[in-house]
Amino acid sequence: MLTACSSDASTGGGGDAAPVDASSCTNTIVNADAPLVSVWAWYPAFEAVVDEFNSTHDDVQVCWTNAGQGQEEYTKFSTTIEAGSGAPDVVMLETDQINSFALRDALVDLNGFGAADIEDDYTAGAWADVSAGDGVYAVPVDGGPMGLLYRQDILDQYGIAVPTTWDEFAAAAQQLKDAGAPGVLTNFPTNRDGAAFVQALLNQAGVEPFDYDLGESPTGLGVDIDTPDEVKVLTYWNDLVSKKLVANDDAFTPDANTKLVDGSYAMYVAAAWGPGYLQGLQGGSEGAQWRAAPLPQWDASDPKQVNWGGSAFAVTSQARDQELAAEVAKGIFGTEAAWKIGIEQGALFPLWKPILESDYFKDLEYPFFGGQQINSDVFLAAASGYEGFTYSPVQNYFYDQQAEQTASMARGEITPEEAATSIQDAVDSYATEQGFELK
Amino acid sequence: MAITLSTRPSGGAAQKRRQTPLDAAKRRGSEPGTTRSSRALTNLFLLALIVYFVTPLWWLIVASTKSEAGLFGGTGGALWFDQDFALGANLVELFTADNGLYLTWIGNSFLYALSGGIGSTVLAVLAGYGLAIYRFRGSRVFFAVLLGAVMVPLTALVIPTFVLLSEVHLTNTVWAVILPSLLNPFGVYLMRVYAFEAVPTELLEAGRMDGASELRLFFQVALPLLRPALVTVLLLSVVATWNNYFLPLVMVNDPKLLPVTVGLGQWLSLSRQGAAEAQVWNLVVTGALVSIIPLVISFLALQRYWRGGLSLGSLK
Amino acid sequence: MTSADTTLAAPPAPPRGAPRGAPRRVSAHARRQRWGWFFVAPFSAVFVLMLVVPLAYAFWLSLQTKTIAFGSTFTGLDNYVKAFTDPAFLEGVWLVTRFSLVLIPLQMLVSLVAALVLDALTSRFAAFARLMMFIPYAIPVVIGALMWGFLYSPQFGPGAQVFGLFGLDSPSFLAPDSIFGSLVNVVTWQWAGYYMIILFSALRGIDPTLYEAAKLDGAGAFQTAIRIKVPLISSSLVVILVFALIGTLQFFTEPQILRAVASGAISASYTPNIYAYSLAFSYSQFNYASAISFALGVVVFLFSYLFLFLTRKRNGVF
Repeated sequence: MLTACSSDASTGGGGDAAPVDASSCTNTIVNADAPLVSVWAWYPAFEAVVDEFNSTHDDVQVCWTNAGQGQEEYTKFSTTIEAGSGAPDVVMLETDQINSFALRDALVDLNGFGAADIEDDYTAGAWADVSAGDGVYAVPVDGGPMGLLYRQDILDQYGIAVPTTWDEFAAAAQQLKDAGAPGVLTNFPTNRDGAAFVQALLNQAGVEPFDYDLGESPTGLGVDIDTPDEVKVLTYWNDLVSKKLVANDDAFTPDANTKLVDGSYAMYVAAAWGPGYLQGLQGGSEGAQWRAAPLPQWDASDPKQVNWGGSAFAVTSQARDQELAAEVAKGIFGTEAAWKIGIEQGALFPLWKPILESDYFKDLEYPFFGGQQINSDVFLAAASGYEGFTYSPVQNYFYDQQAEQTASMARGEITPEEAATSIQDAVDSYATEQGFELK
Repeated sequence: MAITLSTRPSGGAAQKRRQTPLDAAKRRGSEPGTTRSSRALTNLFLLALIVYFVTPLWWLIVASTKSEAGLFGGTGGALWFDQDFALGANLVELFTADNGLYLTWIGNSFLYALSGGIGSTVLAVLAGYGLAIYRFRGSRVFFAVLLGAVMVPLTALVIPTFVLLSEVHLTNTVWAVILPSLLNPFGVYLMRVYAFEAVPTELLEAGRMDGASELRLFFQVALPLLRPALVTVLLLSVVATWNNYFLPLVMVNDPKLLPVTVGLGQWLSLSRQGAAEAQVWNLVVTGALVSIIPLVISFLALQRYWRGGLSLGSLK
Repeated sequence: MTSADTTLAAPPAPPRGAPRGAPRRVSAHARRQRWGWFFVAPFSAVFVLMLVVPLAYAFWLSLQTKTIAFGSTFTGLDNYVKAFTDPAFLEGVWLVTRFSLVLIPLQMLVSLVAALVLDALTSRFAAFARLMMFIPYAIPVVIGALMWGFLYSPQFGPGAQVFGLFGLDSPSFLAPDSIFGSLVNVVTWQWAGYYMIILFSALRGIDPTLYEAAKLDGAGAFQTAIRIKVPLISSSLVVILVFALIGTLQFFTEPQILRAVASGAISASYTPNIYAYSLAFSYSQFNYASAISFALGVVVFLFSYLFLFLTRKRNGVF
C-alpha cells in the first residue's frame, strides 16, 4: 500500500506531497481525467454540494474527506503542519482559528489568487474575519449572526413579552420564575464549547479583547480583557445564574439538548445555525412552538450585531497546486445551486451576497418556526450590521482560560471582577511567554 | 514466580479436556467450611456485582431502542423503553448511513485487531521465549528497557510517530494503525514469565541431545506448552488493538479507514455541534451497542481458556 | 530454575549427537547468545522503529523551544525546569497520585474478593457472574467513557430515576467536588473484571491438595482464602499492580472524553497527560508538550521502581 512519492513541478506546490488518490475521497469523482484537489470539511449535506461542483467542472475535481469536526480536524491539521506533509489542499476553518494558523505559515494569502475579485460578494464583517493585515487567508462560507430563539408557547403560557433589551431580558427571567415555571429563561454556558458564545456576548457590550495585525506586526498583541464592559456583562449573567433565573449547563451536551427539547429553557440565545441545530434535536415533536427575534441589546437606540461561529475555506501551504486549490475554495460555495443545498439541507447561513440578499433567502419561510421568515425578521439585519471581530493567535488558550474563570465565577468561587482580571493576567503571561510583545 | 502451576498426576492430564468445574469441585472435596448462610451471602455479593456491572449495558440496550427524539424527550425515563420501539429502524439507519460507513468501520476494527493482535502476539511469544529460555547477555538490560518503555506516555510519541510514518508516506493508510500496534511489551513480559515457568530446560536439553534444532524445539516442544498463555496474550492484544482510539485518530483522516471507536467518536462530535441532518445520537448509541458484540462473542467462545487450571504436561 | 544455571556454567564442548554435517565446536554460550537474539529480533525491530526512534525524536523536540518571534532554538533542559515548576503539571501529578492511591487498592480489593468468591463457588450463577464482570473489559475504553458521560448527565441519564427510587436526590456526578469519585467509578467498572480474571486464573492454578490439607487442619473458607490462596497468588498481584500503577499515572482517556460533559470539573490540565495533549494539539506547543510527557515518564519511573522496591520479596523483577 505504499503510494509512490512524486513531487509535482506545478505552480507554487508545497512540501513533499503524495498525489491525491481518488479512492480516498468520500465522494465519487465525476470527471476522472481532471486533477484532484483535496478538501477537508464537515458541513452537513456537503457531499451533495461537492457533487454539484464536480458535475459542473471538468477542469478540476474536488476530493472531499470529513477529517473530523472542529477541534478534531484542527488537531489533525496541526499535526500535518508540524510534520510538513499530509495536509489537504483546502481546509475548512472556523474564523477564530485563522490567525493562529496563518501565523504558522500554514495558509496561503489569497490576494495573489483573485481574492480582490470576490470581495464585493461578501459582507464587510465576513471579509474582515478572513483577513489578517493586508492578507486574505480564507474565503468566507457561512456565518453565525446572532439572534434570540424562543418558545412562543411558554411565553404565552406565562404572559411574558419578548425582550428587546437585556434589562427586559432579566425582568422576563424574573417574571418566569415568579410565575412558578418549572424551567428557566435560558442557559448561560461556561464550558469550553460555549466560550465563543460568551465572547460574542461580551463583544456586543463593546469588549474588543484583542488587537492583532498579522501583516503589520506578527509579534505584537494587544490584550484588553479586564475592562468595565467585560465586568458589566459578566456581572449581569452571574447575577442571573446566582439567582437561578438562568441555568449554568454545559453547552452542546446531551443534557443541554434534553433541556432545549423539553422546555426547560424557554429561550435559546443562538446563532443563525441554531435553527438547524434545534431541528435536528426535535425530530418533529409536537407542542413546541419556536420563533425568532432579534438579539436583546444593551442600548436599544444603538444596536450592535455580533457573530458566533461561521467558517471559511482556506488554501493550505502544502497545496500542490495553489491556484487550482484557490479556484476550488472560491468556487465550492460560490453558486446558487450549491447554496440551495446548503440552506435547505444543511441549514447553513450564507455569507455569499448573491444568495444572502436574494428574495429567495429573504422570503424563505421556515415551517419549524411556524412559517416565520426568520431571515428577514432577524438574521439578515444581524449579518449586515456585523462589522467583524479580531481574533488572537492564542485563541484556544484564551477560550480555555475564559471557560475556567467563568465556570469558577458561576460556582460562586470568585467575583466577576476577579474573573476578568484572572483571564487578563493569564493571557498576558502566556502571550509574553510565547514571544509576543504586549501592546 | 508470577504464575503458580499445579502438577497433576499424568492420568488426570489425559482427562483434563473433559473436566467440568463440577468435577473439579468433586475432586477437591466440598469447599472447606462453606455454610448455607455464607453461601447466601456470597451469592448476594455476586448479585450486587452483576447489577453494578450490567446496569450501564442495560442502559445502552434500552437507549438503542429509542429514536433520536425518544432519547431526549421520551417516556419511560432513561432506564426503560420508550413507547416507540425503534431498534429495527435504528439498525437499518446504522447500516445504511453514509453508504454503509459503519460496516466499513467494523471491518476495519476487525482488520486492525486481528492483524495487530496476531502480529503482536507472534512477536511477543518469540521475544518472551527468547528472553526466558536463552539467558543471553543483555537480556536483563533488554527487559529493563522494555519495562521502562511502558512508562512513557503515548502522547509523547504521537507527533514523532506521525512524522516518521509520513516520511515513508504511510500515514492515512492501514499500516499507520497496524505497525504501531505490533508493540506489546506487556505481552512479552507475560510470555517471558510463563515460558520461564512452563518450559523446563531439561525438556529442551533432552531435545537437543536427540539432535533437534532450536527452531524445532520451539515449535514442537515449547509452543504446545505455552498455549494457555498464548491465548491469553492473544486475547489481551486483540482487545487492546480493538480499543485503540488515540493513535488512529491522529494517523488516519480518511473516514473509510477508521476503526469503529474513532468513527463513533466522529459521529458524536458531529452530533454535538452539527445542524439538522448531522445529529445522529441514536446511531452513536446503537453503533456502540453493535460494536461490542464481536468482542463479547469472542469472550464467550474463549471462555474455557479462563476456566481450567494452567497445568504442566508431564515430563518423560 | 536451577538447571539453566548449571548449564550456563558447563564448559564449552560440542554436544553429543551433533547435527549432521561436519562436527562444529559450538559452545553452549554462543548458541545461547545467537538464538536468544534471534527470537528477540522481530520484536526488537518493531520496538526500535516504533518506540525508540520516535522517543528519541520527541526528546530532541523537548530540548528546543519554538516561539513566534525567534523560531526554533535549542534550549537544553529549560523546558524540564519549567515543567517541574509548572503548577499545572505539579497539580496534575498530585491528582494522579491521589487517584492511584485510591483507585488501585479499591480495584484490587474488588477484583480479589470477587476472584476468591468465584474460585470458591462452582455454580452456574458464579460462572454467569464471572462473565458479566468481565464484559466491561470488552467495551472499548472510549465507548465506556462515552456511556458513563451519558449516564452521569443529570437530565439525560438515569441518576434521577435510580436515586428517586430511594427517595433521594441524584448527586451531581460531574461537579468539581464529585468528579474524582465519578472517575474512580468509571475506571473500576471498566477494569475490575480484567484484574479479576487474571487473579482467578492464578487461583485456578493452585494445587487443590493444598486445600485438602488445610481442611484437615480445620481451616475455614475464609482462612483458606487469606492464608493460602492470597499468598500463593501474591506475585501475580504485584505484577498487575505495577502495570495498573503505570497506567493510572498516565490517566488520559476517560477524563479527556468526559471533558465534553464536565469541562467545569476537568480542566485542560487535569492530568499531566491531558496537559501534554492540550499543549500539543490545542496550543500547538509541541516542544513543551514533549517535555511534559517525558517529565511524566520520569514520575512514572520513580513511582514504579519505588513500588517494585517495596514489594521486592514478592515480585519477579528484583
